[in-house]
Amino acid sequence: MGFLNELGRILIFVGKILKTIKSKSINCPDLSRQIYRVTIQAISITAFSGFFVGAIMSIQFNSQLKEFGALTVLGGLATSATLRELGPLLIAFMLSGKIGAYTSAELGTMRVTEQIDAMRCLGTDPIEHLVVPRFIAIVLSSFILLLVGLLSSIIGGAALGKIVGGLSAQEYFNAIPHFVTGWSIALGLFKCLSFGILLATVCTYKGYFTQGGARGVGRSVISTALITMVGIVVVDWFTSYLARSLEFLWTS
Amino acid sequence: MSLEIKKLEKKFSNLKVLDGIDLKVSGGEIVFILGRSGTGKSVLLKSIVGLLKPDSGEIWIDEEEVSHLSEEKYVPIRKKCGMVFQHPALFDSLSVFENVAFGVRRHFSHYSEEKIKSVVLESLSLVELYGVENKMAFEISYGMQKRVSLARTLAIKPRYLLFDEPTTGLDPVITRAINKLIWRLSRKLKVTAIVVSHDMQCALEISDRIVVLDQGQIVEESNPQLIRTSKVPLVQEFLA
Repeated sequence: MGFLNELGRILIFVGKILKTIKSKSINCPDLSRQIYRVTIQAISITAFSGFFVGAIMSIQFNSQLKEFGALTVLGGLATSATLRELGPLLIAFMLSGKIGAYTSAELGTMRVTEQIDAMRCLGTDPIEHLVVPRFIAIVLSSFILLLVGLLSSIIGGAALGKIVGGLSAQEYFNAIPHFVTGWSIALGLFKCLSFGILLATVCTYKGYFTQGGARGVGRSVISTALITMVGIVVVDWFTSYLARSLEFLWTS
Repeated sequence: MSLEIKKLEKKFSNLKVLDGIDLKVSGGEIVFILGRSGTGKSVLLKSIVGLLKPDSGEIWIDEEEVSHLSEEKYVPIRKKCGMVFQHPALFDSLSVFENVAFGVRRHFSHYSEEKIKSVVLESLSLVELYGVENKMAFEISYGMQKRVSLARTLAIKPRYLLFDEPTTGLDPVITRAINKLIWRLSRKLKVTAIVVSHDMQCALEISDRIVVLDQGQIVEESNPQLIRTSKVPLVQEFLA
């Protein structure tokens, strides 16, 4: 019952966000500031992790492909797997750890120090002024970070392809277009969008409805981290399962 | 100009925080609401400005019943009823100037930048703050933040000023200064002030009327002279 109650409250909250996006003009300078903040906060760690994800994929595929004498497809396989699965997942976890916790703590602190109430008293809708820019920024930044993570994973994969498999960068890159299909890109983007929406919803909701002083802020941050981590894995399973069914339609 | 509350009730889960409150405040009055923590004082103020919706009862502000109004329709009411919170509630990312200008930009969108600047500086001077407008909110002391918070509320020119424990966390000297400020602002600007507090001494000094709340109900209501003779045990505790 408690879970259903919470779910209902989350849906009402998302409804208010969507209604605000639809009916009010978005403050572009504020949104740009938020996108910049979210992207800058997570870009270095995403690029760093992306490099190693590409490198790991390269090592894993390298030993298997070598057995079949198909090392030339290494770049394609590693990039496709990163785009379809590990890339969006990695970005989501990075964002959850850095931006999700940050946003939840920021909004939670504003709530417990009565800044949100003060904003309402001064004639401003906090959903429009605080929540919507953060919500959109997290979703849009997911795509920017996916691109950064993907590019650095290709570089990491190519570097390890050279070191471990003796494959030139040219050979590594040449295989990419054969494996990275329109479907792979669509799936990667869809996962990125789903994870971005999930994260943006949970962290803004938990932060916005924080109660109980500093301890409450701590609780909001922890529950944001927990719910998004579990939620990302569940959504990943669901989208992968759904993708299997839809891939048939797409290719046919 | 008056504010009237009729049979106001508010429950959180099974806990009745306001239990049939009736209160009338006339224009220009300073009314202190005293009571122990958790007796519904802040809930009463937040209900008046529409931050909380009462379960039942009526809130009349200048002959208009407002308790049922939507968030959007409450905006002009909140312009009339400025609230000063227990925390300074300043926006950390903004300067003192922008904090004070925040409400002015929303409520008086037709004002020019020049006009906004003069309103901000005038409001800061009312709380005796000079030369701090370019500092960030977190760069000034807690006492100054409280005064900036008051200036931010004054800047929207409210007719009713609601204070939620305005002196909590302040030393006795600043507490006295803030209390004098409330009295002076109320008399100078002719606004009605409702002050939620634990400070009986201050209430005796500056209020026109003292209302004592206990368990969501008004247990005493009197002027500062007569309240000293009250037989209500909670009032005697406060006077001790």
